[in-house]
Amino acid sequence: MEKLLRDRRAILFFIGPALTVYTLVMLVPIIWSAGYTFFEGNALSGFSWTGLDNYSKLFSDDAFWQSAGMTFKYAAVVTVGQVGAGLILSLMYIFYLRKASSLVRTLVFFPVVLPTVAVAQMFVKMFQVSPQEGLFNATLSGVGLGSHVQDWLGTPSGAFWILVIMDIWRSMGFYAVLLYAGLVDIPEDILESARLDGASGFTLTRRIVLPLLTPILVSSIIFSINGTLKVFDSVLALTKGGPGDATTPLTLYMYNTAFSYGDYGYGSTIAMALTLLSLAVTLVIFRASRKDVRK
Amino acid sequence: MTATISTVHRKPKSRTRFVRKLGHVPVRLAVALLVIVELAPLVWLGISSLKAEDEFSSRPMWALPRGFHWQNYVDAWTTGNMSVYFRNSILATFPALALIIVLSVMAGFALEVLRWKGREGVLLLFLAGVMVPLQMVLLPLFTIYFQAGLINNLWSLIITYTVFGLPLSVFLMAGYFKAVPREVLEAAAIDGAGLYRTFWSVVLPTVRNAVVTVSLVQFFFIWNDLLLSLTFISDDNLRTVQSGLLNFVGQYGQRQWGPTFASVCMAVFPTLLIYLVLNQKVMKGLTAGSVKG
Amino acid sequence: MRSKFAAIAVAASLLAAAACGGTGKGGSDAGQDASGPVNVEFLSVQQATDNWPTVLSDLMTGYSKDHPGSALKNTFVAQTDLDQKLQLLGAQNALPVLFNAPNTPAAQTEMGQTGKAVDLEAKLTELGVIDKVSPAAISVVKQLQGGKFYALPFELNVEGIWFNKKIFADNAITEPRTWDELTAAATTLQGKGIQPFAASGVEGWPITRLLGDYIFRLLGPDALKKVADGQAKLTDPQYVQAAQAIADLGSKGFFGKGVTTLEYQPAEDLFLQGKAGMFYMGSWAVGDFNDPKKNKIGADNIGYIPFPAVTGGAGNAEQTPMNVGLPTMVSAKAYTPAVGEWLKYLATNYGGTALTKRGLISGFKAATPPADLSETTKLVQTRIDGTKEPVLWFEALFSAKATSVSQKNAARLVTGSMSPQDFMSKVQDALAG
Repeated sequence: MEKLLRDRRAILFFIGPALTVYTLVMLVPIIWSAGYTFFEGNALSGFSWTGLDNYSKLFSDDAFWQSAGMTFKYAAVVTVGQVGAGLILSLMYIFYLRKASSLVRTLVFFPVVLPTVAVAQMFVKMFQVSPQEGLFNATLSGVGLGSHVQDWLGTPSGAFWILVIMDIWRSMGFYAVLLYAGLVDIPEDILESARLDGASGFTLTRRIVLPLLTPILVSSIIFSINGTLKVFDSVLALTKGGPGDATTPLTLYMYNTAFSYGDYGYGSTIAMALTLLSLAVTLVIFRASRKDVRK
Repeated sequence: MTATISTVHRKPKSRTRFVRKLGHVPVRLAVALLVIVELAPLVWLGISSLKAEDEFSSRPMWALPRGFHWQNYVDAWTTGNMSVYFRNSILATFPALALIIVLSVMAGFALEVLRWKGREGVLLLFLAGVMVPLQMVLLPLFTIYFQAGLINNLWSLIITYTVFGLPLSVFLMAGYFKAVPREVLEAAAIDGAGLYRTFWSVVLPTVRNAVVTVSLVQFFFIWNDLLLSLTFISDDNLRTVQSGLLNFVGQYGQRQWGPTFASVCMAVFPTLLIYLVLNQKVMKGLTAGSVKG
Repeated sequence: MRSKFAAIAVAASLLAAAACGGTGKGGSDAGQDASGPVNVEFLSVQQATDNWPTVLSDLMTGYSKDHPGSALKNTFVAQTDLDQKLQLLGAQNALPVLFNAPNTPAAQTEMGQTGKAVDLEAKLTELGVIDKVSPAAISVVKQLQGGKFYALPFELNVEGIWFNKKIFADNAITEPRTWDELTAAATTLQGKGIQPFAASGVEGWPITRLLGDYIFRLLGPDALKKVADGQAKLTDPQYVQAAQAIADLGSKGFFGKGVTTLEYQPAEDLFLQGKAGMFYMGSWAVGDFNDPKKNKIGADNIGYIPFPAVTGGAGNAEQTPMNVGLPTMVSAKAYTPAVGEWLKYLATNYGGTALTKRGLISGFKAATPPADLSETTKLVQTRIDGTKEPVLWFEALFSAKATSVSQKNAARLVTGSMSPQDFMSKVQDALAG
């Protein structure tokens, strides 16, 4: 058995193809880009060597830190929201809706297939004041809170929270289905014996279901946090990073720096910082979860 | 024999117990609210796709269209070229999905089941790929593809989607392989089945669920991609659904919303239908797989 | 270090090519014969049905009669993705024959200086068609591109305040000639419940244009050149005073509600649906004014006033803000004798075709101006012809970063969430580094 599993040719056969394309299309470009962090300039005007200047610039760049702060706040809130809402939904599917859940699952899932521009436009329309009062403001006026009518996306915190709501709404159905797949896998006899011990409802969920769901929950969290740390499309479609720079995440700041401002070297440095930050966050979750699973 | 929760639904006893605990009314209200929150946008999308251009700023968002402006659909089909974009999206998405599945199942097997030095390191290397922002590698990738003559070629998308899908998929697959009991493998080995046959006939069926999950995760990643298709494709005949929506954007970012929403409807409703059909199959597969496991 | 990257790149690309059976870009000798056919790809921020592409495709139809086999292909790129696309293509020396210049004049100049774009003053002189370009257009482009003429002026615009004549008449407002009269007019409208100005805060530039114009009126036409050259700072009191004047418009509510999130089209709609009395914009918008589907107030109902004078200021209302839109460059790498022949044809015929087919005023002279031009087009033409001293716009001579900072924060200036002092120092900081 052991010998069989140490067969070199088999190992090469199984890991070889994936590792090859991965190296060529992912690792090589990363190292290549990492090289650009020591240069200034762009592909048109040419690059010039600056050593570690880009990195020291990073530390004194307020815009970078502001973006980093926004990125982390967004990633934390949206990850909790997405996975949390997904978990609640999946529990509801399996314990309450059961057979009838198929249609609801599909409905809740559908925003995922909607193009970002369409979703963003809907949220813009919902919260706008001009040229038409959106649903939200019209409702406020309707219930006598007319004095609170305002340009919600035009305020830094308004824009941030609308972005958060939009992204949670879009993807909670997706996480619900992921977690639902995990729930379906939990053997009934475990639940049954727990019930015989007197556990039920929330206790059952907390003591039995959640621990068994941990692996897929951790995967979901890692998945979500890496997606949200790299948020790009939805910001661009909803707020374009505004008002001012209030909702500009690192990816957008990097993209603007590299392409619009023509400083590809510094842009790569921002990207590198983002990569390292994501790596750190993931490793922390990874470590924590491994410990948890072993318990 | 282990049953799953889903089989429980047929037992009225446990059913009533659960339902009573959770309470009827609040949950029903919550479900109703949920359905509204999800359905309303669909309706809005449909309504908007039939509005004339000036209605978007002259009338409230919930107003019904003044007339059925079917011209939007005509525009979406002709100017918007939706049929072509839909085909391109499918041509880019499914080969990439297939590649991701094949490569990640094999890699997951090698990383979690097979025994070799450095596999922890390689797993970490793959995991690191999850963190890399796409924007970082655009220039190098563009250069490579350009030199290889792959710009304005769907292969540039397929390759990139595959590679960017690999880290997470390999990671998930490795996790699933951990759950495959050792004894299963040993039994197969004692039977004299070779490694490849064991992989094919014993190991593969046990990770069916994982394959479904990974496909689901990756499908929507790929389907919703805009940045890559914008960067690598500029030929109008090779655009995907997402980048095809740009046909209704003017120089100053003005969008013709009518045809845009008509395009979105034309793209979304078939997708939804496919999902509804697949959904039944997928969930059946999930349940069947878990009963066996 | 660079060579190492190059080596990796070559290795990777070879592997990729080998793996995928790519063919690479086939080099060819096409285009060496000036009388032969020409294949022109135009990387454009306008859709194929929009102004420049339609004019060009019309021209190509004419050209291919004498040069059979010639073709034009319009490749659309969204303006927000243009800079990225140009960098990627430029790095591979793969810019198409015609391409829209990068978004900021600073980047345009760089495009020319690095030899990616053809120096058109020399080239058109060599081809003997430099006299087909209007001197005003050449002067504007040269002001922008460090004294060089790197881009074709497919349009030539004046900017100013467009107003709803009926609204003005109904409220007994006469065309304001000074800033004080303008704000008085706005106050009157505001009092009647009509939004005085429509402006897009998402774009930002419709607001900073006002700021730039005010600076020109207050401090003279070279005021922003001084800033770009470092002789003055945006944080100097008089510049801040200008920012204050624009911020005051906002604090009085003249831009209506929700200016921050208003996009280009809805802002224009506010004006064209009669909900706003005035609209600052370039004359490219005349196309929309003439479109009854968009314009609900009638084309005859729109008047033009130049940006008013500021009492006691060093500038005057005759110094009209002028631009060439986003101009178009000719790729140096893709240039062949056949392209030259096509350029000659283009320079000779663009002006007339643009005017006849689209009512579009360009930086090319029209041989025989059509008689049936719309009133608004005529008005713009008169204005252009009468402008002796064109001025640019606020960010015209700024770096890309300063431009972006300025436009992103413009809405905050008029909503009061950023003080004029902070706004100017933020832009100044971006200029400095």
